[in-house]
Amino acid sequence: MRIGFTPEQDRFRAECRDWLGANVPAERRPLNAADALAFDRAWQGKLFTAGWAGIDWPTRYGGRGLSLVEQVIWLEEYARAHAPWVGANFVGLNHGGPTLIANASEEQKAYHLPRILSGEAIWCQGFSEPGAGSDLAGIRTTGRVEGDELVVNGSKIWTSFANVADWQELVLRTEPGSQRQAGLSWTICDMRSPGITIRPIRMMNGQTEFCEVFYDDVRIPVANVVGGLGNGWKVAMSTLSFERGTGFIADQVKNMIEVDEHIGRARSSGLLDDQRIAEDLALLRAEVAALRAMTYRNVSEAARTGQPGAEASLIRLFTSELAQRVERMAVRLIGDGIVDFAYGDDDPVAEYLRGFAQTIAGGSAQIQRNIIGERLLGLPRGR
Amino acid sequence: MDLHPGPDAEALRAATAEWLVSRLPLDRASNRPAGLWDELEAMGWTALTLSEDKGGPGLDHATEALVFAELGRHLAPLALISTAVARRWTGLDRRAALAIPDGAAGWRVLDPEGADRAIAVADQALGLFAFTSGEARPTIDLSTRQVRIGDASLDPIEAPAALLHLRVLLAAYAVGAADAARDMAVEYAKLREQFGQPIGAFQAIKHICADMAVQSAVARSQLYYAACALQEGDADVGFYIAAAQMLAVRAAIANGRANIQVHGGIGMTDEARAHLPLKRAHLLEHIAPPALRALL
Ligand SMILES: Cc1cc2nc3c(=O)[nH]c(=O)nc-3n(C[C@H](O)[C@H](O)[C@H](O)COP(=O)(O)OP(=O)(O)OC[C@H]3O[C@@H](n4cnc5c(N)ncnc54)[C@H](O)[C@@H]3O)c2cc1C
Repeated sequence: MRIGFTPEQDRFRAECRDWLGANVPAERRPLNAADALAFDRAWQGKLFTAGWAGIDWPTRYGGRGLSLVEQVIWLEEYARAHAPWVGANFVGLNHGGPTLIANASEEQKAYHLPRILSGEAIWCQGFSEPGAGSDLAGIRTTGRVEGDELVVNGSKIWTSFANVADWQELVLRTEPGSQRQAGLSWTICDMRSPGITIRPIRMMNGQTEFCEVFYDDVRIPVANVVGGLGNGWKVAMSTLSFERGTGFIADQVKNMIEVDEHIGRARSSGLLDDQRIAEDLALLRAEVAALRAMTYRNVSEAARTGQPGAEASLIRLFTSELAQRVERMAVRLIGDGIVDFAYGDDDPVAEYLRGFAQTIAGGSAQIQRNIIGERLLGLPRGR
Repeated sequence: MDLHPGPDAEALRAATAEWLVSRLPLDRASNRPAGLWDELEAMGWTALTLSEDKGGPGLDHATEALVFAELGRHLAPLALISTAVARRWTGLDRRAALAIPDGAAGWRVLDPEGADRAIAVADQALGLFAFTSGEARPTIDLSTRQVRIGDASLDPIEAPAALLHLRVLLAAYAVGAADAARDMAVEYAKLREQFGQPIGAFQAIKHICADMAVQSAVARSQLYYAACALQEGDADVGFYIAAAQMLAVRAAIANGRANIQVHGGIGMTDEARAHLPLKRAHLLEHIAPPALRALL
């Protein structure tokens, strides 16, 4: 085992650092949806043109064709340079694209992947429904096969970026009368299709990031099904494995940097003399270091075996709860400053409030514990 | 960067585990067979990182940590740690006990049997002293005994890496104790039935076990990282090792406690083994605890 990188990887890191140092925008990501979208697209376009998009994606789809290790190096440097949050490109880059790479036809990949990397196509994820949250197999939105089209009716909820997206990972019940995991299909839905109504939902931090989406006889070509009609559950599980796995590496490094900043701030304000704060910060610093070690372990295992380790669910659970502890600490350090929080503020309080999503979205902490208990530890399912 | 044990390290770990299952079963932790130490020495565990010209196999610290985590899982003697460190950094060629401060001037010499030298840990520094073992008395850890002595004259061990090495091995033992507790709890949760099903089917128990798995995985990952940092002479090695030690001891205590809860009434008995990893954890908590400033 070793933690050092190869000279080649060190050179790659230096390259990342140099480019980011010269190109990271000085202004913050705007808050309102339209400006934020323009910002996200422009930044992603810049990354793409300079060859920094899709570090570990195949070159024939516009990626760099390097390994997961280089992807990790890039994300570490990305966070260290305080480069912008991926924003509206989150779904496409972190799980839409990877799902296509693993499951889609050549034609689907050739069309969509370069557009995701260039920031031209924004994606969103239409999995959750009012009646199907943790219990995703409860999906009721239907896609009736009519010739070479699917006719879609129903609704999705909590769809992040639906209001700005071009495409959607849409999971539908395509086999009439099918139950649970059977009869579902994972489709690529054009968000500009007639019959789609989008209602943005305001979150408790004042920002509008997710939406309710209604489908009224929306037509999607059957050719847009990924992985075959009726195989949607399998494809959706691969999406979730990306969403819960490598998609969070950037956040992990961000946590590390934030804890160091918290410590610096607590030191200069004198709060570090408070024994309880000092102890909690010391623990957080150890934990974020351990998170990097866990990620390295996982990436190393993936490099040896070709797939992320079964322990990805452990990382996911630990990451999400740790991120919340880091955000909570930021708010503790503000003290009574939290009282002044108002909608529209873009500050640690807004981050702290948004952070509740960490243990809800993409499989709640309780669901992760079920997965760890049953799949990793082999405990029986409840009756 | 590669934090996955390679095939050689894994083979050594597996062989260690196999030997320990037959020779050092947990349920006999308070009553080890006579002559055990000679057997342990013969296995070469106190010389793993010694270079070949000094008679060792010249393994790296990460492989050593992997093996010591296995030893820790079986609550192997603490003297394996002190002897390995004394050998590597002072050239001592026999068993060394492990001493921690007892009040202002005295020492608790842990695992003193058969030793006349102890590695002493105080004030973030390491030394060696000679002692004469009297009648050994119990510690909270049923597999470790102690003698308490007054003053001793300490020969400082100059190599700064010696204390770091000791901390890595302590962290490895704690990771082992955390794993032992996790495995015991999971095994019991699959067997014990109440309300017509294994208790592990209840989420209240399942989620306790899941949290134990997280604790163990976090601590083990940082242990590997820290051991590599020591091997590679990383500039921040002091922090990485302090973090490993803190997280490992916390994991051992958290898992040790949870294990007893998962066992219910039988977990409170002397006869069941559930208390053993927790007690080891509470001993490890007081051996060379990392300073807060090493972490900030
Ligand atoms: C900010 C944010 C963004 C999101 N973005 C998207 C998106 O883009 N696309 C999308 O499809 N979805 C999205 N989601 C939805 C998210 O995936 C769901 O919220 C999540 O799966 C939980 O479902 P639910 O909200 O219906 O909660 P419920 O499933 O109703 O859960 C409520 C509570 O019950 C617990 N619970 C439920 N089942 C069990 C069980 N079996 N055992 C123990 N406890 C259980 C949960 O842990 C939770 O605490 C987003 C959510 C948030 C908060």
